[in-house]
This record gives sequence, structure tokens and C-alpha cells, in this order.
Amino acid sequence: MKQYDAIVIGGGHNGLVTAAYLARAGKSVLVLERQPRVGGAAVTEEIFPGFKFTMFSYVVSLLRPEIIRDLDLPRHGLHILPLESTVTPMENGDYLVAWGDHDETRRELYRHSPRDAEAYDEYGRLMHFMAQAVKPIIGMVPPDPTSFAPGDLAGLLKLGKHFRGLGGERLHALVKLMTMSSADFLDEWFETDVLKATKSASGIIGTFLGPRSPGTAYVLLHHYMGELDGVFRAWGFAKGGTGAVSESIASAARSFGAEIRCDAGVSKVLVRNGRATGVVLENGDELRAKTVVSSLDPRRTFLQLLESSDLPSDFVQDIKRFKFRGSSGKVNLALDSLPSFTCMPGVGRQHRGAFSISPSLDYVERAYDDAKYGEFSRRPYMDIVFPSMIDPAMAPPGKHVMSIFVQYAPYKLNGGWTDAKREAFGDAVVNTVESFAPGFKSKILHRQVITPLDIEKITGLSEGNIFAGELALHQLFFLRPAPGWAKFATPVHGFYQAGSGTHPGGGIMGASGRLAAMRILKDGA
Amino acid sequence: MNYDAIVIGAGANGLTTAHYLARAGKRVLVVEQHQTADPSADIGWVPDAVIRDLGLAGAGLQIETPDPWITAPLPAGGTLELSRHIDRSSEAIRRISPGDAAKWPDFCRRMRTLASVLERLYVVPPPDIETNDVRELARIAGLGLYVRRLGKQTVIDLARILPMSIAELLDDWFESDVLKGLLGALGIWHLKQGPRSGGTSFNFLHHHVGCAAGVFRPARSNVTQALCKVPGVEIRRGARARVLAKNGKATGVVLEQSGETIQAPLVVSSAPPRATLLPLAIELYPDFARDVSNIRARGVVARGTLALEQAPEYATFCIAPSLDYLERAYDDAKYGKDSTAPYVEVQRTDGRVEVHVQFVPLGAHDGLADRVAQLLKVRPNQVALQPAEESLYHGELTLDQILFMRPVPGWSRYRTPIEGLYLCGSGTHPGGGIPGAAGRNAAREIL
Amino acid sequence: MSLRTTPFHPRTGPLSEGQAWRRWAGYVVASSYELSHEREYHAIRNSAALFDVSPLYKYLVTGKDAARLLDHVVTRNVAKARVGQVLYTPWCDNEGKQIDDGTISVLGDQTYRMTSADPTLRWLHLNASGLDVKIQDVSESTAALSLQGPCSREILQLAAERDLASLKYFRLTSAKIRGIPVTISRTGYTGDLGYEVWVDAAQAVPLWDALAETGAPYGITPAGMLALDVARIEAGLLLIEVDYFSSRHALIESQKSSPLELGLGWTIATDKERYNGQAALDAERKRGPAWQFTGLTVDWDSLEQLYADVGLPPRLPSQAWRTSVPIYDRGGRKQLGYATSGGWSPLLKRYMALAHLGSEHAKPGTEVRMEVTVEHRRRQAKAHVTALPFFNPERKRA
Repeated sequence: MKQYDAIVIGGGHNGLVTAAYLARAGKSVLVLERQPRVGGAAVTEEIFPGFKFTMFSYVVSLLRPEIIRDLDLPRHGLHILPLESTVTPMENGDYLVAWGDHDETRRELYRHSPRDAEAYDEYGRLMHFMAQAVKPIIGMVPPDPTSFAPGDLAGLLKLGKHFRGLGGERLHALVKLMTMSSADFLDEWFETDVLKATKSASGIIGTFLGPRSPGTAYVLLHHYMGELDGVFRAWGFAKGGTGAVSESIASAARSFGAEIRCDAGVSKVLVRNGRATGVVLENGDELRAKTVVSSLDPRRTFLQLLESSDLPSDFVQDIKRFKFRGSSGKVNLALDSLPSFTCMPGVGRQHRGAFSISPSLDYVERAYDDAKYGEFSRRPYMDIVFPSMIDPAMAPPGKHVMSIFVQYAPYKLNGGWTDAKREAFGDAVVNTVESFAPGFKSKILHRQVITPLDIEKITGLSEGNIFAGELALHQLFFLRPAPGWAKFATPVHGFYQAGSGTHPGGGIMGASGRLAAMRILKDGA
Repeated sequence: MNYDAIVIGAGANGLTTAHYLARAGKRVLVVEQHQTADPSADIGWVPDAVIRDLGLAGAGLQIETPDPWITAPLPAGGTLELSRHIDRSSEAIRRISPGDAAKWPDFCRRMRTLASVLERLYVVPPPDIETNDVRELARIAGLGLYVRRLGKQTVIDLARILPMSIAELLDDWFESDVLKGLLGALGIWHLKQGPRSGGTSFNFLHHHVGCAAGVFRPARSNVTQALCKVPGVEIRRGARARVLAKNGKATGVVLEQSGETIQAPLVVSSAPPRATLLPLAIELYPDFARDVSNIRARGVVARGTLALEQAPEYATFCIAPSLDYLERAYDDAKYGKDSTAPYVEVQRTDGRVEVHVQFVPLGAHDGLADRVAQLLKVRPNQVALQPAEESLYHGELTLDQILFMRPVPGWSRYRTPIEGLYLCGSGTHPGGGIPGAAGRNAAREIL
Repeated sequence: MSLRTTPFHPRTGPLSEGQAWRRWAGYVVASSYELSHEREYHAIRNSAALFDVSPLYKYLVTGKDAARLLDHVVTRNVAKARVGQVLYTPWCDNEGKQIDDGTISVLGDQTYRMTSADPTLRWLHLNASGLDVKIQDVSESTAALSLQGPCSREILQLAAERDLASLKYFRLTSAKIRGIPVTISRTGYTGDLGYEVWVDAAQAVPLWDALAETGAPYGITPAGMLALDVARIEAGLLLIEVDYFSSRHALIESQKSSPLELGLGWTIATDKERYNGQAALDAERKRGPAWQFTGLTVDWDSLEQLYADVGLPPRLPSQAWRTSVPIYDRGGRKQLGYATSGGWSPLLKRYMALAHLGSEHAKPGTEVRMEVTVEHRRRQAKAHVTALPFFNPERKRA
């Protein structure tokens, strides 16, 4: 039987990145993916004939530039198109826009508050520094502060030095960003409520917290770290949807010799004498490898792929304690024509950017309140884009697709996610949009509603948590996914972990995939 | 009369600083705005060093150690009473949840260990991580080593638990709603956050500081009274003072009502940092002034007294039937309203019966007394509540407002940009609920 | 939505022959109206050039503590200034590093108009804590023109129908031009005889017409930013984002400059109470600034030789440049500093530059080398340190 150098379980973008780097280093690699196509939560599907839905994730920014370069992804079809603006319709018929151009944005903010217009520049500068300051942490293997090993101590010293080097103002800002709520953090800078609401919304993406909950300022920073062509905080849309991102990584991996098999779900990892020797597929086939990597989330990786006897009991407890509460939903629509928003009537350049349904902090906070007690938000927060406006190939000429990312839709819904509940959730979303864009409902040709339960069933992400484990301070860095096991290795020799459930966390980054590959290569697999 | 130092505020911290300064030979005047001391503010751990150095035992310091330390009503009737003795508490808990009873001793032990780390941090000025001073860096390294020697579990606990929400922490350990409710209340004590908010576990540990293992309510004492009895400083009451400064130097204070100016080269304020510094804004660099005005001190507690026919049997009676109850009480406060179903705690102390009602954001409080009375099963006229004011702690105890971030990032060593003006109140490290600690730290920094 | 146009745009728009516009503070202004800026430049030194300077940020500061606020922010002594005076001043952060520079016009006892290159509303508000002062952003409601050149006084006198000979340098007066109320200040960015005229935005177009008509017989010439750039270099005047960076925009410490390092030591009052950066500036003055801002004159023969070496006639920059150019010592190896603005002065027939040099090397007459790229190769031309300004005519202050 053939023995691979490495088998990668899960063809999500991180698994594919791991495979590509290993293959590039000359290893024989096999990727096993349960679904008929790779991508995980970064997939594009033609759900309705002629209309391509970027089903789950929809924008790109956090994809590590070094990965794009190392794997030469543009040669494999990656083409990221700019998303220039964000319009926030307000409940009084007014709007707030952040344009791509600095002068235009300043003028728009000035209209709402002259002081906020100036504060915005300073805030942007600070966040730019913060993103720079945190960037090295994304690319590093987290040192273990409980260990006395020289490598860890050196890592800790390096970190300490790095933080001290930031200097007073920036160090303090970092502490604030790590601990505060996004609302409180933004309150220190701005007075315009709709501005604070829109900005703090990026602090609650995929998170089971409201803008007033401490810890959301970190998620704000996490999303700020996205960069395109060296420009921070720039978000883009991949031509062909995020599925194209996965496909480009898969193509790069194949070009280095990696083998990718779909419709090949793994049921167990084979372990002998504390060492991983291969995997068993759902159909019973066995495959051998010197190294096995799981890019599934930590719960599936450790509690499903392995027997609990393979793992130390306190580790199993830690993994069981790792929180996954899914809070996001998605509604994808095929449209006959674009909706006209009351605050900015007609169709124009605003449709080439995003619409943020976050008219006030209270609005977003109330959306969270609904979820806290087990209901989906009656008036949810939404991040809306029209992929067909940026990449016309996503829909037939003249028609459009609309991608709506929704918070909050709790995985643990009172009474469970029945089909009726799914439709009711879809209705809540569509009705809310209708209230800002009358006549919108009549343009819908087809509707696809995705609940956290659907996310879990289709992509395997436990509880539908899009980050494969919540991005909370106590579940990050050297604690992700468990204390002492944050360096991509696992208690089983030859078995490694990658994916958003490991450092540095979620978003389409690919960072963990790469770090895991580096670890495997270092260990001499 | 020439004074070497003026201390603003005759609370525990103010008096502590004043006495330390006096013992160093300074002539100290303490100026206090209220005629009488407010005993309800004497809550929390008085560090041993303060008691020892200032001879408070001899001055009649009494620290209450009630047993049971809390009584909470059970939904089916009866009460849960937790004792200072861990095994007795386990027994009491066993009646509502055997699983929780089994975990209780371990939980108490773990929390005590973490609190002891905080205790060590609190009796000294906060670590200055930005300095290049070798001694300070050595001190920080020593602190790190001390923590590491407490064991790997403690290091992990610190990193994990401090940012966690108290709800998550308690859900990990226990199943009983009543137990989690009464413990969770300590996590949101004087904080404008619900139990599901991050950082509430830190607040929980902060208030556990100085308590025996298994006791999760701060101790009451008469520390301010005792401090007043210690001779060595002059106290003037009924006069509200404002700091005077010129060209970056403190020159003394002015008493607002009389207009009288008292000069001194050293002024130490135990009043809230915002109230102390913002009137001096013209003397401050705008970025610093902005940081001061950004200090969050959102009061959410209405305190008051209960007039009962006879003294109650319990020491502390807690109405917090579950974490969700507390969370819903917080929800109202988020939108500026009083809690429809507030968290209420009644404490019998020193001949009074005090009541703590949370969440009560600033503003009008229609029907609050009625609601509280209903919960306590007393008549509304037995409840006397004062409106909520700025936070008792002069700055919320959230993770971004502690240690080197308190009261203003980078200015945590009790100094201010104004030469000769220092801060020593609960708005500084280590924060509220630890009477005397900030006062002592500040005094040592000055001397 | 796109860039906005100034209140004068109905007149300046049609004048553009080559659609050469550029951004200034969110507005479009002309780089030049004619196809080349040459004539526009000469008008500054020969007759009168008319510039639209409306994009300047302008703030009206009034109230009991108006002077106190401004004194807290800027380095000049505002309290001592008299009504009718205009002060040029920088302002600094707490470390004495320059944030911006502009003018303060003393319009009345408690009324000041402050101009700045960057938005300053927030900074003024942050400094005004506890003060009895009102700050109004009048940037959009106030339009401004700059009339510079030897004929400027005559034109303005005719337009305002009054004598302006007594309006001294950096003083202002109110007047009426064809019934339009204006403020005329004897200020400008050219180092020449010139005036700035401040008007309510609603009256901008009639004001332009009045000046254009009155000035026509005197050769009044609408001029753009390219022409202005040459004149300001001749005058040794620095430009933010080019010759220095606002300390609030600086990414690293070395990008910040103090007024002392920018040749603005004369603006630092020594008789004031607390102002932002005072302690740092006092300390720096005692030990001496590390950098100096000076002029450089490129040696013609040396420059000519570099081109002759490759068989070409010397190429002079057709426009003033705003890039960073290394300056080396005589030996050509050790870098002493860098030039940030430069260009050819058609009037002085000199290749001039504005540069930052380490203080020990900044004495006028010091010989240095300036980097010049000739036919794709980096070469060095001889230059020597020149005291600023390059051009300082009598008529400027007369």
C-alpha cells in the first residue's frame, strides 16, 4: 500500500495551504475532503441556475500576502477585486458612507460631525499602527509561558521586547483593543452613533457577543489586520467568489504534486502506540501516511477523529471546554434587479461596495440580546454585498446575486432549527432589508437561507461557528485550542492540527495552514 | 498655618496616605467635603501592612467575619447558606446539587490561589513594563517567576480566567443556578456589565482578594473610623476642595464654599481622578486631558438602607437567582433604564441594614423602591435609596482600567503631569474595594 | 461624490487651458491655468499674480479665553499681538515637535482667525477644555484670494478705493471692494509685495470679477500652484508634507521636526506661560537643534559638467520638485542630510533647493554635494549652503 508523507484531513483553505507548502517542499501529500469539492466554508456554488453564490464567506482581505506570493496564487487564478465603499442606511432615511477616497470620506463624516471627521484620520492612523504591531504575532508560533524551554523563553522575550518597543501610546492602545468592548473603544474616539455602530459591527462578526461586550475590540482589530497590496483595512472580493480562493490554492497544491481527493470523508485517524499511522475513510478504506494533519475544527479533530484513550484526559477536558457557539447565518439571493435603498435611491457606485445594516449601537446590541436568550435577531445586523456588481460573471447579464451575512442566529435556538424556523429567519432578514429598500422583496428570484446548523452540516464547522472556535482572549494565542497545545502538534505523535481552530484564528487567512506546514517540516516529517 | 501637604478626602485611602505622610514628619491637613464619614464605603480588604504600620488594631479596627457569609433564597423555599468553613458550605450545596458540592472545595482553592497573586500585586505600585530601569525590570521578572512557581495550572488559569466572563467560568464548574447567581453577582459588582461579559471573572477575583478561601463577599469593617482615631493629622470637614496649580506646579487648594485658599507644595487627592484633574485642564496636555475624560466610571448601583423592625439574622441576603437573571438586569441598563428585576443584596453591618441595588444607571428611578421592596418582601417605605452616582470606585474595574492603565495609561504611579499633585484614591491602583491599599502605595511613592 | 470646487470655480474653471488640476484639502485647484506655468510665475515678480487659496482651513476663535486658547496651542505670543496684526506661527505637540503652521489674524479684541494646512478643529477643541471660548470652522464659508507682485498694491488700492501704503507687512485691515466687505492682510506665500483678501464665500465670484477687471491694465494674471511653488522656494518658505511632516502623521520618530530644526526659532516666544511643547523646546534651545533648515545653491559649472560628460546640455527641472534628495559632504560619501524642495529660479537664474542638514554642516558657504540623476546614473553636483531666503526684495516690507 502506498504510504504518503502526509495526509491532510479537510480540504478547507487551511488544509489546502498546508498541503501546498508540504508538497512544495517535496513531500507526497494527499488531501481528503468529504464534500464533492474543496473549500470548506470558502466555496462558490451555482445554487440557482446561472447564479453563483459565494455560499458562506464572501470577502477576502486577511489572506496572508506571503502565502499569495509563495504559492503564486495569481498564476492559479486568484484575482481580488476592490470593494471600495460601505454604506450604512440610517433609520431616519439618512446614511453614512465610507468611500474609498480619503477626501470624500472626510467630507461625508464632516456632514455628520466635524470633529469625528478629524478623529477618523487619527483613528485610522492608530489602527494602522496596531495592525502593524500585531502582524508579527499572526505569523509566529505562540510561545508557551508555562514552559521553561529555551525556545519558549526566547519567544516570550521577543514578544516582550516587541511590545515594549511599541511605545507608550501604542502599547496602551493595544491593551485597550485586547480588553475593551468595541463600543467603549469607539466611544473614546467618536460621537456619531451610526459611525460607531458600523465600525463596531466588525467587532461582532462571527462572535457571540454584542458591541458592548468586552472582548469585541479585539475582533475589531483582527479584521483591521486585513491588507491588500500593502494597504491595511482594505477588503476585496475574489473574482469567482471565495470558492475561487480555495480553487487557486488547490491548483497551486496540485502544481507541486499534491493529490486531492473529494467525496472522501475521514472517519478516524489510525493510531498505534501513540503514533498516527494513517486514516480510515468513511467507506472503510485505510490509507497510510507518516504524518497526518487535521484541518478540521478542534472538536472534530480530537473528539471525533480520535479515541479518547488516545489523548490525555485533561487535554480532552480542555477541548470539551473550547467554545464554539455559532452565531452567524447567511442568506444568498438571486435577484432580477438591484434594490434601491431609500437613503440613496437608484443604482450606482454604492452597489459596488458593501451595505451595512447597523444604523445604531442600540440596534446591533438589541440584535445580540435576542440571541442571548436563544432567538435569532428579529432585526439583525447584516453585511451585504452584490458580488455580481464586482464580478459580472457571478450572475446572468442584467441579473444579480446578493450575499447577506447575518448576526445573530444562535446555533442553540429555542426549539431547534426546524425548516420553519429557517424560513422565519430568512423572512426576518428579507423583511429588514425591505424596510430599508422598499420593493426589494419583489426582485427576489431565489432565496437560500443558511443557519448555523446548516453551516455545521455542510462544512463540518462545529455549532456553525465560522472561526472554528470563538475568537475570545482566553481562547487565543497560546491557549488555542488548548493550553500547551498551541503549536500545531498534538499529544499523538505524527498527528498535527491546522485550521482556524489553531493560532492565529479565523478568517480566510491561511496563516495556520502555513505555520502547521512549517512545524511539520521542522519536525522532519 | 503652614502645611507640608494637603490631602483631599477623608475616606480610607485619603486618611491612609495622610497618616503615612504625617509619620514621615509632614504637617498634613485633610480636607473632606462631607460633614460625616460614610461608613457604607468601608468594604473590602484592608491590607495587613496598613493595619500594622498605622496601628489600626489599637485604634479599634474591627473586621467583620460573619458566618454564614451569605444567604440566598431557593426557588422551592428555604435558603442556601454558605459558611466560612468550606466543608459546611459543601454540605449546604449538596442539598441542591451533589455535583456542585463535590467541586466546591477545589473551586475555592483555585480561586484563592489566583486571588493571592492579585494580593501580591495590589500592595505595591503596578509593574511599569515600559521602563528601562533595571530594578523595575528585575521586579517584574521576579513577579513572573513567583507566578510560575505557583504551578503551570495557575499560569494557565490566570491567562484564561482573567479575561473570561464570570458566566462562562461558573458554567464550567457548577450547575446550580442559585449558586452561580450569588457567585456571579460578585463578578458584576459595581460594574456596568452583565455576567456574560468578558472581564467579569477578573472583577470576581478582585473582590475575593483578602477574603478567606470559600468566602466570596468583601469584608465589612470600620477602617475609616479607626483611621480617624489615629492621631497625627488635622481633619477639616464640610469643605469641598479644588486643586490649585500654576505653570505645571501644584500650589494648594481652594475651598469652594468659602473661597479660602490653603497653600501647600504637595497635594494628594483621593477624590475621583476626573473630578480632580479636569478642572485643571488648562494646565494639562490635551492628550492627557482626553485620557482623563475617557475614564469610565459609570455608576450602576443605588445604595441605601432598610428600616426593619428587628435586626435580621442573616449577614448578607442576596437576590440573584441565576446568571440569566443578572444578565437580564444588565440588559435594561444597557439602554439607560433601571432593571425591571434588579439584583438586590442586603447586608447587616454594624447596627445598620444596607441595601445594594444593581443595575440602576444614572437618572430618574421611578418605582425602583417599590420593586426592591417587593423583592425583599417589605413595605416600600422601609426602603430608602440614594440615587446612583458616579461609580464608587472612581473608575470601573475592567481589564483596560487596571494596573498600568489606571487611572490613565502610563500614569499609574500616583503622579500627575502637575508637579506636586498626586492621586491616592480608589481611582488608582489597585482600585476600589481595597481600602487603604492605594493610599499606602501612593504615600510610599511620594516619600 | 468627488472633490469639491472652491467658491471661485465658476471663474477659475473656464480659465483652465490644459485641465491641469490638483487636490488641496479635498478641493480641486489649478496647477496652472495656461499650458505652462512660466508666465504665471513671472507675473508674481513682474506684475501681479492672483491665486485662489480658499482650501486653507480657517477657524474663527472668539470669546473671553480666545487668546488664552491660542497661546496654549501656538508658540508665538498671541496675547501681546495687537488688533490688526497677523502672526505667522507653528504649533507643537507635547514633545516640541511641529504639528502644523499657519497664521493668526487678530480681527478684534476677542476675535481671531486662524489658518492651517491640516484640519485643526479637533485639536483646538481638545485644548479648549475648561476655557470660555467659541471655535467655529469657517473654512467653507470664507473664501480667500492671494494677490502677489509689484503691482498688487496699486490694483488693490484701486479696487478698494483707498490708500493701502500704510498697511504694513503682516498687518490687516477691513475694506470694501465694489461694496463687498473684505479683510485685506498684507501676507502671502511668495516672499514679495502681496496681499491676501478674505471674503464671505457667497461673494467670491463678484470679488474675483472686481479684481480681474481692476487688475487687467496692470497685467493681473490668474496663477496656479506650480507657479506658487517656485516663488515660495525663492522665499525660503516651508511646505507641510513636503519640507516637514506633521508630528501627528509621522510613522516614526525621525519623521518629526521641531520648529528649531525648521528655522522657525524666531517664532518661539520666551515670555509666555505654558504652551504645548514649551519644556521640550526650552531644552532643545539650550542644547541646540540637531538639524537646520537651509537653502542650497547648486553650482552651475558642476551641474553643466555632469551633463557634458555624457554629451548633453544641462537639463534643468521644468517644475519645482518636492521629492527627497540626498545631500553629501564634499567627499561625496557621507550623507549630511536631504533636500526636500528644489527647482530653477527664472528670476535669480539659480538652481536652488531647500534642505535639512545636520547642524554642524549647515553654515552658509559650506560646500556639499547634491545627488542628480543624469542619464539613469546617480551623480553628484557641487552645491553650497545658502542663507534663506534666496529672494528678499525691498518692496516686500516697504
